[in-house]
Amino acid sequence: MLFWIIVAILTAAVAIVLLLPLLRGAKERLSDRAGEAAVYRDQLKELERDQAQGLITPDEAEYARAEVGRRLIAVSSGMEKQVARGSGLRRIRLAEIVVVVTLPAVGLCLYSITGSPELPSQPLEARLANPGNDMGILVTKAERHLAQNPEDGQGWDLLAPIYYRSLRLGDAELAYRNAIRLLGGNAERWNGLGETLIAAADGIVTDDARAAFEEALKLDGSNFRTKFYLALALEQTGKQAEAKAAFETLAKESPADAPWIPLVNEHIAKNGGAPLATAGAEKPLGNPTAEDVAAAENLEAGDRQQMIEGMVASLDAKLREDPKNIEGWMRLIRSYGVLKQPDKAADALKRGLAVFPADSAEGKQMLALAQGMGIATEGNEQ
Amino acid sequence: MSVELGHYALVLALATAIVLSILPIWGAWRGDRPLMELATSGSLALFGLVAFAFAVLTQAHLASDFSVKNVWENSHSLVPFIFKFSGVWGNHEGSMLLWLLILVFFSALVAIFGRNLPDTLRANVLAVQAWVATAFTLFILLTSNPFARLNPAPPEGQDLNPVLQDVGLAIHPPLLYLGYVGFSVCFSFAIAALMEGRIDAAWARWVRPWTLAAWTFLTAGIAMGSYWAYYELGWGGWWFWDPVENASFMPWLAGTALLHSAIVMEKREALKIWTILLAILTFSLSLLGTFLVRSGVLTSVHAFATDPSRGIFILCILVLFIGGALALFAFRAPQLNSGGLFAPISREGALVLNNLILTVSTATVLIGTLYPLLLESLTGEKISVGPPFFNMTFGLLMIPLLLAVPFGPLLAWKRGDLLGALQRLYVAAGLAFFVALVFYYVENGGPVMAVLGLAAGLFLVFGAVSDLWFRAGIGKQAMGVAWRRLVGLPRSAFGTALAHMGLGITVLGIVAVTTFETEHVVEMKPGMTAEAGGYTLAFDGMRSAVGPNYTEDRGHFTVSRGGATVADVWSSKRLYTARRMPTTEAGILTFGLSQLYVSLGDPMADGGIVVRIWWKPYILCIWGGALVMMFGGFVSLSDRRLRVGAPSRRAKPVKAALEAGE
Repeated sequence: MLFWIIVAILTAAVAIVLLLPLLRGAKERLSDRAGEAAVYRDQLKELERDQAQGLITPDEAEYARAEVGRRLIAVSSGMEKQVARGSGLRRIRLAEIVVVVTLPAVGLCLYSITGSPELPSQPLEARLANPGNDMGILVTKAERHLAQNPEDGQGWDLLAPIYYRSLRLGDAELAYRNAIRLLGGNAERWNGLGETLIAAADGIVTDDARAAFEEALKLDGSNFRTKFYLALALEQTGKQAEAKAAFETLAKESPADAPWIPLVNEHIAKNGGAPLATAGAEKPLGNPTAEDVAAAENLEAGDRQQMIEGMVASLDAKLREDPKNIEGWMRLIRSYGVLKQPDKAADALKRGLAVFPADSAEGKQMLALAQGMGIATEGNEQ
Repeated sequence: MSVELGHYALVLALATAIVLSILPIWGAWRGDRPLMELATSGSLALFGLVAFAFAVLTQAHLASDFSVKNVWENSHSLVPFIFKFSGVWGNHEGSMLLWLLILVFFSALVAIFGRNLPDTLRANVLAVQAWVATAFTLFILLTSNPFARLNPAPPEGQDLNPVLQDVGLAIHPPLLYLGYVGFSVCFSFAIAALMEGRIDAAWARWVRPWTLAAWTFLTAGIAMGSYWAYYELGWGGWWFWDPVENASFMPWLAGTALLHSAIVMEKREALKIWTILLAILTFSLSLLGTFLVRSGVLTSVHAFATDPSRGIFILCILVLFIGGALALFAFRAPQLNSGGLFAPISREGALVLNNLILTVSTATVLIGTLYPLLLESLTGEKISVGPPFFNMTFGLLMIPLLLAVPFGPLLAWKRGDLLGALQRLYVAAGLAFFVALVFYYVENGGPVMAVLGLAAGLFLVFGAVSDLWFRAGIGKQAMGVAWRRLVGLPRSAFGTALAHMGLGITVLGIVAVTTFETEHVVEMKPGMTAEAGGYTLAFDGMRSAVGPNYTEDRGHFTVSRGGATVADVWSSKRLYTARRMPTTEAGILTFGLSQLYVSLGDPMADGGIVVRIWWKPYILCIWGGALVMMFGGFVSLSDRRLRVGAPSRRAKPVKAALEAGE
């Protein structure tokens, strides 16, 4: 609101500045040519000065004086002929209207197209002082702190995984290395460094990365992440048998419902082994994108669950707004099924069927999916 | 909120400029004083609005407000303060806002200092200025809005182009724009005169300070740009005949011609129509330069972001203003009464020769700059018009001009005496030749042409001195009288002498560097030495260092002469972290007017590094001469005769007529 008040004041102020000469009205009008005559009189004085100093000869001066004199006479005679016209009142009124209309019309129209009046200024210092939950600013704040105190290992340790997740891999590597240098290594940091190096090498487990995982293994012999990447290193160097053995060991040691089992099974198969049957092996979610899965893998178990639920909830909300989306309904039903929330899945199916009747092709598709997943359908209840 | 207020101020500036484009002209046409008065106060308001918008953008840059897209794109929180400040115009949007600011600044100056101008002329001039302001404000708001916002705001900026992180950015663009845009005033005066259909000596008188000021700033801006390129780019050159350089050089050449033809017009009422045309052409070349540099037609450090819509918009502005102005000229010029007559050998004649050569050389540069662009856009064929073309054509044209310069001030108006001028100058010429020979001997040879080049430069310097010498009558009069006469000379005489002397000094520098320069490209390992210009450089090795926003590898060199250490110098290669962009920071050592220039190349596999070492004798004369020219411009600008007393408001026309009759 204050903004619009200031805008109004500014516009009014400029309008007043433009209107003042119009409101003051016509005054006695000086001849246009008085200024010109002044120039020529000045030139005459100049000639006298030059002559007095002997810079020009009297002859030259006389000649020039005659010339300038002629110009002066021409100007002066022109002045008398000029008729000073008064200003027409109508013209002034019209001009006032032009000013009063143009300023707000052009100003507000164009500004409403190009401006963002609701956006406040955001000086960096103010944002740093009060970061709220702006992740980027928190990172910047930590960075500034580290620029002042580069020996603060905790700071590097905090930033490293954030850098890794936002794909600032060079910074992530530096942060992990600094944290390890200052705080000493632990499995988490070495693993993080190794993963960063792999990401930077487009998925190749480089020698540096392998060295990092070996360090991690020394500190924590039971870390599955470490073992997985070491096995991957074997696979990538063509040591198929060793890789297969390593992956199989990993699968055996893992808890039955570990989320990485399908991935490990994939690698076992790739290296010529048979996947170990595990009870908890889940089907791929299907709906989240590969990036989401990758991001989810890097989260703690609780966070991951939360993230997936968040995505499903947002899909749900979208479908409430725009229900004509069979793909969306299929995904939503499948997601609730996978999340073991049969009530919500049944509700989703009901809402989907309200949009796409049960006897339509889409309706049948949804029913088939629900039956396949063991979700209660209207038909079952009946 | 303040960012949005700045944005709104700019929009309001557009509205004000539109009002100013229409009402004052209407008033001038109908003889309506209040409407004409509106131009004066309106121009001040316009300046206030744009200055406020500019201040807001500056504040956003200083406060690293990354919610402003322009700040996010061109700044970084870790950039040193001065570069946050100069970064305001170190990008397309900000530099266009600076362009506009200087334009309305000149309008405000005309409004303030133009009290002695006829009402109609002042109203028309300010209205034409407002046309230009309208066009450029619209351009800024529609295609290059510096107040575009980002939501949510990014946490960190993308950094300023490292090449621009230099004090040069704080000085070069504002000076250059003061020159470029200053010529808009001359343009507006020319258009106003054409609209009124009346020009006379007084017109030239009123335009002269604006031409002088613009020319002075442009001289300084070009020289500063040249020196910046010289020390920053690491190639050791000071002028490349690069299209971007030519874009600023063409208005300078045309502006120099305008400066001289306006003198003829003011003093003798001759060359009136020609002067009007030159005023139009000079600003047109400024606009053309803006188009070439900003449209993305050329790729260089000046073309920040290429966006076709911008190029087309500027092209439209260009066509509208240049085409409109020339059409008006063609329509009205025949109706103007032409001026006085003069003999070919006279001061006027000399100035016509000056104009002739300067305009032909402007055309040469224009062809050399535009021809490759036209050819490429028409046939797709890429050719490069480089220094050989310009040196052959432009260089050749400059020889008669340089030789003729000292004669001009010595010739009388209307009918001159060439023989008399020759007699007065032969001492200067002989002296110049002698000193050139001595120089040649001291420098141990070089091409014979160097002697002639040096003599030409010295002839300009000595010729400027002899002009003052003869005017004061030194040698003919008693010392006391001569001194009084010298002190009593108008300041513009000193300005002329200084400007011509400065030109001579620049010529000296150019000839000395091009003929006596030495270049060594050597692969050096720590402990090795190289020779240049009589100095021995010992390479001590490389060291790493970290700056606020860059990391660098610096090489250290110890410079000795005759076994004694005289100086040491660092030369480095930097990597700016935010943009991952490398730059070269040359090591430059100054000995008197000469410089030793050390630039690092690529490291070799065996631990050595390629080092380029230049010995640049008397190179500082090039820019020193420009400074002297600039100083001459200011001296001339301060001449009391340029400040005609404002007509007393109470003076009656009749009285003026009586005075004229006396």
